[in-house]
Amino acid sequence: MAGIWLDALDEIARTCREHGRADLLLAVRQKRAQLLDPKLRVLVIGEPNQGKSQLVNAIVNAPVCPVGDGRTTVLPTVVQHAEVASATVVQAASAPGRAAGTSVPVPAERTPVPLDQIAAGVAGTLGRRPGGGPAYVEIGLPRALLGAGLVLVDTPGADEVAVLGAAAPPAALHHADAVLLVSDSTRELSVAELNMLLHVTRQHPNVAVVQTKTDLVPDWRAVAERNRQHLAEAGVPAALIPVSAALRLRAAAADDHGLNAESGFPLLIARLQRDLTGKADVLARASVAMIARTVVEQLAAPLRAELESQEAEEQSGPISRLHAAQREVDELRRCSTRWQNTLADEMADLLSDIEYDLRDRTRQILRMVDEAFDTADPLVAWDTFQEWLQQSLVEAAEANHEWLAQRCDFAARRVAGNFARYGYDVLPPWSMTVPEDLLDRLPEIERPTIDRFTVSQKAITGMKGSYGGLLMFGLVMTLAGMPMINPVSIGAGALFGGKSIRDESRQLLRRRQATVKTAVQRHVDDFFVRTTKECRDTTRQVQRMLRDHFTALTEELQEAIIQSFRTAKQAADTDAAVRDQRQREIRLKMTRLAAVYEQAQQLTAPRPARPLEPRA
Amino acid sequence: MTVGLRLDEAVWGLLHQALQLYRDNPRATDHLRHQLAQLEQPLRIAIAGPWRSGKSTVLNAIMGEEVAPVDGPDGSGVFTWYEDGPRPRATAYSTNQPPQELAVAKSATGMRVDLVGWRAGELRDIVVQWPTRALRQVTLIDTPAITGPDEQGRSPVMDRVLRDADAVLFLTRDGRGTDLRVLESTRDSAVGQAAPVNVILVLSRVDEAGGGRVDALLTARQLARQQYRDPRVNALCVDLAACSGLIGLAGRVLSESDFAALAQLARVSREDLETHLLSADRFVRGELPVPLDPGVRAALLDRLGLAGVRLATTLVRTGCDSRVKLSAELIRRSGLTELRESMSRFFVDRRDTLKARSALAGVEALVRAEPGPGTGELLSAVEQILAGAHEFRELRLLAALRNARLGFDAELAEEARRLVGGDGVGLAIRLGVEHDATVQRLWEAASDAQWRWRDLAEDPLLRLAQRRGAQVVVRSCEGMLAELAEGGR
Repeated sequence: MAGIWLDALDEIARTCREHGRADLLLAVRQKRAQLLDPKLRVLVIGEPNQGKSQLVNAIVNAPVCPVGDGRTTVLPTVVQHAEVASATVVQAASAPGRAAGTSVPVPAERTPVPLDQIAAGVAGTLGRRPGGGPAYVEIGLPRALLGAGLVLVDTPGADEVAVLGAAAPPAALHHADAVLLVSDSTRELSVAELNMLLHVTRQHPNVAVVQTKTDLVPDWRAVAERNRQHLAEAGVPAALIPVSAALRLRAAAADDHGLNAESGFPLLIARLQRDLTGKADVLARASVAMIARTVVEQLAAPLRAELESQEAEEQSGPISRLHAAQREVDELRRCSTRWQNTLADEMADLLSDIEYDLRDRTRQILRMVDEAFDTADPLVAWDTFQEWLQQSLVEAAEANHEWLAQRCDFAARRVAGNFARYGYDVLPPWSMTVPEDLLDRLPEIERPTIDRFTVSQKAITGMKGSYGGLLMFGLVMTLAGMPMINPVSIGAGALFGGKSIRDESRQLLRRRQATVKTAVQRHVDDFFVRTTKECRDTTRQVQRMLRDHFTALTEELQEAIIQSFRTAKQAADTDAAVRDQRQREIRLKMTRLAAVYEQAQQLTAPRPARPLEPRA
Repeated sequence: MTVGLRLDEAVWGLLHQALQLYRDNPRATDHLRHQLAQLEQPLRIAIAGPWRSGKSTVLNAIMGEEVAPVDGPDGSGVFTWYEDGPRPRATAYSTNQPPQELAVAKSATGMRVDLVGWRAGELRDIVVQWPTRALRQVTLIDTPAITGPDEQGRSPVMDRVLRDADAVLFLTRDGRGTDLRVLESTRDSAVGQAAPVNVILVLSRVDEAGGGRVDALLTARQLARQQYRDPRVNALCVDLAACSGLIGLAGRVLSESDFAALAQLARVSREDLETHLLSADRFVRGELPVPLDPGVRAALLDRLGLAGVRLATTLVRTGCDSRVKLSAELIRRSGLTELRESMSRFFVDRRDTLKARSALAGVEALVRAEPGPGTGELLSAVEQILAGAHEFRELRLLAALRNARLGFDAELAEEARRLVGGDGVGLAIRLGVEHDATVQRLWEAASDAQWRWRDLAEDPLLRLAQRRGAQVVVRSCEGMLAELAEGGR
């Protein structure tokens, strides 16, 4: 029968080795050695003053452990079989902690203690060097019960779980085959005791609660009943055995079987003997199942954590970087369409705006020219006028250019705005200034041919007009008998002559004005056409420059993004492969662990096995 | 005693100063007024301890009547106050309802309070008024079980005990480990550190020690004396007493019928009776050679415990042949007398100091909880009183003498302890003369002590700490002389 659980245990050990957990392997090996040892180590724990030492005494029917007022067990006491009664203080030579943790046997210092000074030994005042390692007392007794392999370990009282872990090696929990928690009948199990029980039952299959001092309390049955309830409520699978050490010792002294039965000890001893004979089988199976559970839990925990962390990693790993790169590429494509549209739109707007502006300015100039020449005589004002016109046109051209420059800059910035998210300093290195030589580029306006009203023309015109007047009045006068040439007719002739001269001169002025106006209009039209042409050229140049610049930039960006996309894709591909493999490995390991666990649980057949599914 | 400003006057002044400072804060004002009122009230002594440490039994034993416990709906969480009153009545104070009167059922040896219709966690306090001499000078508080300290080393019940009570009887079964750690939390405020005077440690349920042997009580008392010498223990309390509440209470309420039953038992031969007293089961169910009804036997067990029955029958057999004698002997053996003496010596006689201490602690807690402008001055005033008041100096000297830090030889240390009130604060006790000594004798003793200690205080061979200690003793002697002079004779 022993073979089955031994196989299971070896399987567990192999698993530990595979997982590289030397610490667990050591624990399993120790457990193996301990299970193969036919001795049954019973650890007696509990709060101070509950009657632990007295319980040990009562079990072996001898006052081996000192009991009494104010006697406190300081060192763990190991009571085992020996041919002659003996007592020894054993102290590990090295630093505390090593003895429990290494498989190399630590040289221990053994100091024999006279039997009548056991009390001093147990109180830690005899046979122990101060500052040495953890010590314990070994007591040998010639008793049949002990001879069968029972080893009792009495421990110092402790009401906290932490103290249990820090005990000397023989009192350590994992060395024990059975644990008895001692609690006296004067009160129910305390919260601290229940906590301790929960802690112990988690790592130990064989735990019992011994309720001592039943002789002292009349209602110990009620206390026992409530204790059983507490155990059930807390989910502690431990039996409760009420005993009275006083009755047992008394019964032994008087050889009174009835009293012995009343003390409750036969039940406890029967249980211990059952454990002893069943150690190689029932107890071992339970132990193996228990150790399988702890080992599998310990091994599975990091694997589970790894799986979970991998799942979390998928959110931030190479795959997500690949997705980000993909998004970048799309974004860049959208961006390039966007900037082209922006550029075209901006430039078209700019052109129409600039043209309108120039047209507006020239029209204003022309209006002023019209107004001026409605009254002024080009003959007199031409020079001043020419200067003014020149200046106005230059000013108009300058303003227009300046605006053009601003608008171009604005358009460039609008287009560059599309690249803002790439963080590039993307404005092209250009600057447009208003050309200085606008004045020189302006076409020279030539003086229009203007008809002058010369003196001879005036004379002829005057003569023509005066002739008609002289003749008209002369003829009328002749009728009156006056000579044709008389002062009146001459006066009329002069009047008429003067009028025709004046009329003629006014007509000439009109003609001159019209000529000048036409000439100026033509000139301004020339100017407009020429300037517009220049503007268009400039605009087109700017557009072309911007387009080239931003195209180059887009290409550069695209190159970089595509590159990163490619690396991301590559990384994601390899990573996915690695992770898949690791996950498969972990799943495989988990399945194996589950199998090991299952095998161990099969040992304790009646117990329903809790399957351990690897979590996906 | 103090020349200059007396301690109670100084505390009174401090409380008014605090009231002035917190006049805009109704909660703080309430708190301070409560402290002020408390100065005139009887001393509040809380009986605290871990679960099933025998708190209610000890309380009953002190009162001499069975009035505790008033078990809450879930048996926990309720502070029960026992104060003097003209007639028995109990009032329940809950967290969310107005105070409510509870029905009180009187029994032969005490009373029971009916607690039906209350939900768990609802009740906060129950105030029981009970006409008895024991409550003339003190108010006793029965407290819920103290749980172990949490992560910060605090225990909520212990915190409330320290807040509400002037002095504490701390019950423990073994005086070790977890229990002491809870007590250590009493020392984290300035007041707590300056004057560790309000705790008496009680080893309870000692009748059950050693398997309930007859001499268990005696050995327990020896143990207590031993344990008190442990510096870890005696830094935490003014005294350590071993007391079996059960036997003490039995002694105080022992009836003639109980005595008759015990006398009946004592007639059985010792060996015979011993076998019957082996276990409680045997005693109740066994065939006794004398006619004794099982009901009576169960009642005896209930009243005395198995150890108590053993002890009582032995006592009856060895000469306690009447109820009065047996009662007296049981009380003496239970350690109750010593406990009560301790209480009166360390708590009741020092009432003013303890009250002042509570008030100072209250002000300190308030200032730390609600700091504001001017509270720093208040805190330094607290510290000034702590450092300056002679009563506290005496207490500090006592503490120093207890753990032999000063290095006086045993005789001197003993005398210093007595003179500064380590054994009690009465003049005769301090001076170590018989309690009915004449004023003349007292005067002589006091002036003699004063001169001797004055020499010590100026002895250049002594260490500074010793000279300072001697100065405190001289001051105490001067105080005693002043008191005698005031006496007018």
